[in-house]
Amino acid sequence: MTFPLGAAVIMFRRTLCVLGIVAALLRCPVAWAFEPEEALLPARPEEIEFAPLDFKVPDAKQFRRTLPDGTVVFVAPSHEFPLVTVSIVFKGGASLDPADVPGLVASAARMVREGGTEDAKPAAFDEALDFLATEIGVGSNDAFTTATMNCLSSNLDESLALFVGMLRKPGFDEGRLETSKARLLEALKQRNDDASSILSREWKRLLWGTDHFESREPTATSVAAMTTKRLREVHARLFHPGNMIVSVTGDFDEPEMLGKLAKAFAGWKKGPAVPDPVAPTAQLSPGLYHVPKDIPQGKVVMGMRSIKRDDPDAIPLMILNDILGGSGFTSRIMQQVRSNEGLAYSAASAVAPKVWYPGQFQARFESKNATVALATKIILDLVQGVRDEPVTYEELETAKLAAIETFPRQFESKPAMLRVFVNDEWTKRPADFWQSFRDKVSAVTREDLLRVAKEHLDPAQMAILVVGDWEEIAVGDEGKRASMADFFGGSVTHLPLRDPLTLEVLPEAAKPAEAVPAGEPLPAGAKKPVPAGK
Amino acid sequence: MPFLPRAFSGLALPQVAWPWSFLAAILCAVIVAPSAACGQQVAVEEFTLPNGMQFLLVPRNDQPNVVSAGWVAKVGSVNERPGITGISHFFEHMMFKGTDTIGTRDAKRDATFRQEQQKVRGEINHLVWTEQYDKYLRGEIDDPWKPTNDTQALRVLRERLDGLIRAQQGRGDGGAETATIVKDEFDQVYTKAGGSSMNAFTSYDLTCYFITVPSNKFELWAWMESDRLHDSVFREFYSERDVVHEERRMRTDSTPTGRFEEQFDSMFWASCGYSWPVIGWPSDLNSYTEEQAQEYWNIYYRPGNLVGVVVGDFDATEAKAFITRYFSRLSAGKKAPPPVVTLEVEQMAEQRMNAEGDFPPAVEIRYHTVPAGHIDSYPLDMLAEILNERTGRLYAGLVEGRELASSARASSDTRKYAGLFAFEAETRGEASPEQLEAAWYEELTKLQEGEIPERELRKVKNRVAAGNYRRLENNMSLLVQLAVAEATLDWQEINDGPRKYEAVSAADIQRVAKEYFAATNRSAAIFRRQKGP
Repeated sequence: MTFPLGAAVIMFRRTLCVLGIVAALLRCPVAWAFEPEEALLPARPEEIEFAPLDFKVPDAKQFRRTLPDGTVVFVAPSHEFPLVTVSIVFKGGASLDPADVPGLVASAARMVREGGTEDAKPAAFDEALDFLATEIGVGSNDAFTTATMNCLSSNLDESLALFVGMLRKPGFDEGRLETSKARLLEALKQRNDDASSILSREWKRLLWGTDHFESREPTATSVAAMTTKRLREVHARLFHPGNMIVSVTGDFDEPEMLGKLAKAFAGWKKGPAVPDPVAPTAQLSPGLYHVPKDIPQGKVVMGMRSIKRDDPDAIPLMILNDILGGSGFTSRIMQQVRSNEGLAYSAASAVAPKVWYPGQFQARFESKNATVALATKIILDLVQGVRDEPVTYEELETAKLAAIETFPRQFESKPAMLRVFVNDEWTKRPADFWQSFRDKVSAVTREDLLRVAKEHLDPAQMAILVVGDWEEIAVGDEGKRASMADFFGGSVTHLPLRDPLTLEVLPEAAKPAEAVPAGEPLPAGAKKPVPAGK
Repeated sequence: MPFLPRAFSGLALPQVAWPWSFLAAILCAVIVAPSAACGQQVAVEEFTLPNGMQFLLVPRNDQPNVVSAGWVAKVGSVNERPGITGISHFFEHMMFKGTDTIGTRDAKRDATFRQEQQKVRGEINHLVWTEQYDKYLRGEIDDPWKPTNDTQALRVLRERLDGLIRAQQGRGDGGAETATIVKDEFDQVYTKAGGSSMNAFTSYDLTCYFITVPSNKFELWAWMESDRLHDSVFREFYSERDVVHEERRMRTDSTPTGRFEEQFDSMFWASCGYSWPVIGWPSDLNSYTEEQAQEYWNIYYRPGNLVGVVVGDFDATEAKAFITRYFSRLSAGKKAPPPVVTLEVEQMAEQRMNAEGDFPPAVEIRYHTVPAGHIDSYPLDMLAEILNERTGRLYAGLVEGRELASSARASSDTRKYAGLFAFEAETRGEASPEQLEAAWYEELTKLQEGEIPERELRKVKNRVAAGNYRRLENNMSLLVQLAVAEATLDWQEINDGPRKYEAVSAADIQRVAKEYFAATNRSAAIFRRQKGP
């Protein structure tokens, strides 16, 4: 760094040091030695020169091994701590739930962990694990079920035997199942307590339709139908070497580890891998929707269906979203809604592509009732703005640099790196995706962003969902900058609050949902929230 | 955020001989050898600049190319007083608004805008505190701060303030030309450079700022952080309050239990500075002045009250050179932070709160205990561990055994100046909060009357020791632990704590169970679901 002149200006302004003036005039190294450090500092961060960061994208093949039975194992040893993590990803999650028992796969995953084994009652099994200080978790999401074991390397043999034994022969103890179901029922009762949970439930119903696994949720009836028989069926279908990919990180010797895994899996009967999740058939109906909740702040999500993960537009759309609302304070939504207007604490947008069917674009915020309409209007205007005008050169440059510079974080820790590899293998991501990622980002132009904005973002095609006190929200802000009547011709569909246990419409809100002018009174029962409960 | 009492371990777990049927062995093994301390320590390089700013460096290369870096100010809501509650957290917001270099295209004009805003806001505050408060106190208006209750004079002033804010942002009648602000430039500089996970948090005892940067951008971190500590200006001081009000609405007012928890806290703490919420009371949020903020800054954001923490892939020698070069520009400051002198008074009688709302029936019972580092804090932490997890006493006793609770947990929260122990549980089926409360007292009696069996204690110690390794694995997590430990007690606790936990005996646990859980020392909150509309 050499920037004595600019630094001297700062010094003059900030200090009344005679020596500093002398030094600046003489450019004298001896005089600099008496100077405060400040005098030598770059005036702005752009003046700092950085050494290049030498980052090579790791190649999955170098970490990929195959056991004699064909099971794929990714390995990445590291000896910093005396810990080992074995993670097994099984294909299939909520995607495999029968329509009449939503939540079945999640419950099965939970019960594999909680229900003991064929050889040990749950309490004894848990006691054994806890004494070893070994942690095991099993959980599922929409498309995958993951089982993870973390143990001290000194306990690896015992822990691995407990872990694999549990996965192969879970006990599904009846007592534990009852406890688990009781806990689930208590959780269901709380469904309408927090506005955020109402928002996310109703949004899924609007987005995916009500007959798709993405939006189906357990009810008291489906919880009752979660019998050990059905849990065992899920287990038999998912938990076998034909349907799993293993990854191991931590303090171990690779050949030994592969031997231990082969031994642990020996004789485990292989079945077929489960099919891919099916796409939803329903379409999103654009419009304004509202669910009642008596709180001083409206919670809003707005959005539309978007693209698949491997769509060629995925990278430009991601860059565009970063500029629009995906990159915190650097993005337009945060700057306008929070930083300039002070209307919300959090305000952001996201593109969430899906592997097997198109995902979604959504923007989210919360604001006091009077300014819900104003913040909604600002966000819709910003979405329209990226369709109408190219982003600035500076915005594009910032977003591209951010994507390129943060890219190594995908692979920052060994567990993170292996998670990428396992996911890529399961979802058949194109082999050169990560190798060429930064080049693809660099190649994105303003014209690309304008094109993808026009193609994939459209306020007229979006649904806006508001949870809150409609009477206060509908009228808008005091300054009359916006009201809810500004959207979709002033027509709103009041969605009823649903019974937390059955998800049926509550009797007092039984009037079917229909679009009414935004300024009109609420339908019966939709005015005040009905407390959850039995 | 509570102090994270357990640092990572220097302990090896007991070796058990595993016969062919090791599960049977686990089930039968009642007596095991006590673990031996083997002393793996976090290698922290500590150094202090002549201006008093302390740094903790932990170079490690298992996660290449990234560095997590941050600093902690030893100031939190406990250092506040009525009238300025929430100002520590408000500072956390202001620290991202830039300096005379970052965040403005014209520092001089920007300063003029700020002075004008300060003057107008001063007039607004004066009118509100006098006329509006008077009307409120006489019952003529429902809220002295609500704009709909404004007098004509206040309306004019508010419009003038709004106009100044808009002009400063380039959104006023003069258009973009008048802007002196470069919007959120602090964030943009880091974003462009690959900074991620940038954030900050404020707790009762401390305020912590952190980010992860690529390894080659360490100098940028030193530039940016030393710049904002050297030269922070309170830009957008008045508009940012609206954001904090929204944050309060989101976290407290719009959540099912937020305001009840706030009330319970205020009831529990009688005299000490933990009795107000970190985010502050709404009337105080509206009232801070820039003078108060400047005074607070001068006292608490001086180098002697700050600790930098760096964890990740970096060269310590090079990092020290950058740190010395940049952070030396901070001047030491004349005034040391005043001591926190108000101690919590002894509670004389049981306190009880009955709450109804949109939440499940539940109970929380709290007891006053001891601050972080107190000799009894270790057995109290272990007592919580004995009760928690799936093999802990609460699960066995309340969830599975008596089938009263859907969940139950205990926690020991030891802060810098005081501590508490809490039992919390939610009901299952038809059980009532009162049944949960009674069941808790029964569990407590067992702990007071009988010593914890050796094997049960050993199990918990094993778990604590392994957990201490686990917490170390992530750079950011280690950074936060070091920052919290140093601001609350001493960073060495990270290395010393495990020995202290290992030394806790069953008799120690029994002793604290008898000492801190008297009925007169407890506060109970009973939560019930609100009946229909």
